[in-house]
Amino acid sequence: MNVKQRIRDFISENASFVFTVPAVLWQVLFLYIPFLLVVYTSLQHCMECSFFDITFSHYYELFDRAYVYIICRSALVALGVTLSCLALAYPIAYFLALRVKDRWKNILLFLLTLPFWTNFLILIYSWVFVLDHNGLINTILLKTGIISEPLHMINNMAAIFVVMVYYYLPFMMLPLYSILEKIQHEVLEASMDLGATNWQTFRRITIPLSMSGIKTGVFLVFVPAFGEFAIPSIIGGGQQLFVGSLISHYFLVARDNQLGAAFTVISGIVLMTCALLFHWLCKVPVQVAQKEVAS
Amino acid sequence: MRFSSYFLPTAVAAFYLFLYVPIFVLVVFSFNDNAFTYRWLGFTTDWYTDLFASKEVWHALKNSLLIACATVFLSLTLGSTLIFFGSRAAVQRILLLFYGSLAMPEIVLAVGLLSLFSFFSVSLGATTLIVGHTLLGLGYVIPILHGRFVELDVNLIEASYDLGATKRQTFFYVVLPLLAPALIAAGLLVFIISLDDFIISFFCAGASVQTLPLYIFSVIRTGASPMINALSTVMLVVSSLFVLMFSFIQVKKIRIQK
Repeated sequence: MNVKQRIRDFISENASFVFTVPAVLWQVLFLYIPFLLVVYTSLQHCMECSFFDITFSHYYELFDRAYVYIICRSALVALGVTLSCLALAYPIAYFLALRVKDRWKNILLFLLTLPFWTNFLILIYSWVFVLDHNGLINTILLKTGIISEPLHMINNMAAIFVVMVYYYLPFMMLPLYSILEKIQHEVLEASMDLGATNWQTFRRITIPLSMSGIKTGVFLVFVPAFGEFAIPSIIGGGQQLFVGSLISHYFLVARDNQLGAAFTVISGIVLMTCALLFHWLCKVPVQVAQKEVAS
Repeated sequence: MRFSSYFLPTAVAAFYLFLYVPIFVLVVFSFNDNAFTYRWLGFTTDWYTDLFASKEVWHALKNSLLIACATVFLSLTLGSTLIFFGSRAAVQRILLLFYGSLAMPEIVLAVGLLSLFSFFSVSLGATTLIVGHTLLGLGYVIPILHGRFVELDVNLIEASYDLGATKRQTFFYVVLPLLAPALIAAGLLVFIISLDDFIISFFCAGASVQTLPLYIFSVIRTGASPMINALSTVMLVVSSLFVLMFSFIQVKKIRIQK
């Protein structure tokens, strides 16, 4: 029996093992081992030091330099963006899912998914034309005589915030839409028949039923918004530091991998804490609604 | 009822305006005869001529397409074989493993990959990009395929075995065709994700490979020319064709189901 035949036999006998390994290996090798490596790097004394030369000094350094402030600010901005997206997207998704006729629905959905499939740098860049000194808003305001001097609207926190909301809206919309679309009209009608007002129906039926969509949307927006890197660097002119911009600065510009890794680890821990907190918070409204219904 | 019958449609209109005004302005300015400021000077199609003559753009596009194709192939192969050949109980258990790449911001994955590559002194290039993009892709492909595979009628697969097909034959002639819609959807998604990816590419490309997003970013950063607007317009047209194709497939699927 030649080698080829043997390999073939081995594969067909152990197919379930042979074909499970590559994907799992890929994930472990390129996702989980790198995580550990980042943690290890953050503890490493210096690049050329021996393998066991371990220190916490990089963490101390980060606390000293008050970079904690940047992490907190990123988390707050991400939270603000997430809540704004939720507040903007929910009514629209509700309307699209429950109030629009089918023919219009397809067109509106198409228009909604289009930015989602468009290169995000382009979407961000398009805002330069809106917010710039000679941009759309200033031109309109100057022409109509509302202002006499162009407003300074770019390279600041507000611009970053607006563009982040803009970019992440579809990420909030789509999960909300797909969950709201599954809600059956009969359930809402039953609630109304039983004497509930519009508002009561919305609060006690629609929101609890769409909770998993809210959760997905919040998750899809908060996680990337927290690590945002491209939007501050294009719209903010690189002046407003975010977690993402600082990480890339350490790794690609300053080449201080140890400090960068420590910063990444701290941010990761903060992010996970936020996620757990949110997970716990999500349970509350559903429980409250259940209690109210029960009582 | 009055509240929602006025408020919601207005909100929707405002929402779509918010979504599309910047894009519209971007497209308009791709025809602007002015290279330096954002003031309108006249109509021209010069930027499109420049765009199609630019070697850099074509080169970046070629790289991006190659990487995206390799990524789609790898993630679909790894994903579908895992889903079918892996025992159901085991797959169920390891499914959570693949959500890891979605739970962290991409920049953390990028930093991790960069550390890994520099630790083993792997030189950065197209291969490292494909590795990174496939990691992202698996996070989408495996949940999508798994969701569809679980819904499949087990009897069909068992009938195939009863009729004497081997596992391999069943995979190629029964399972893959049944999974085709999910495979196409997942493949398209991964293709776009890879084509669009900026952060992992920014960290793991090194100096040797230029992809389209990296090219766009470098031009935007170093003082953009309206050629980027022209490029954006072309990409918008292409991606809207993609979405149309995608929704066409979906509509067809729904019709078949009905």
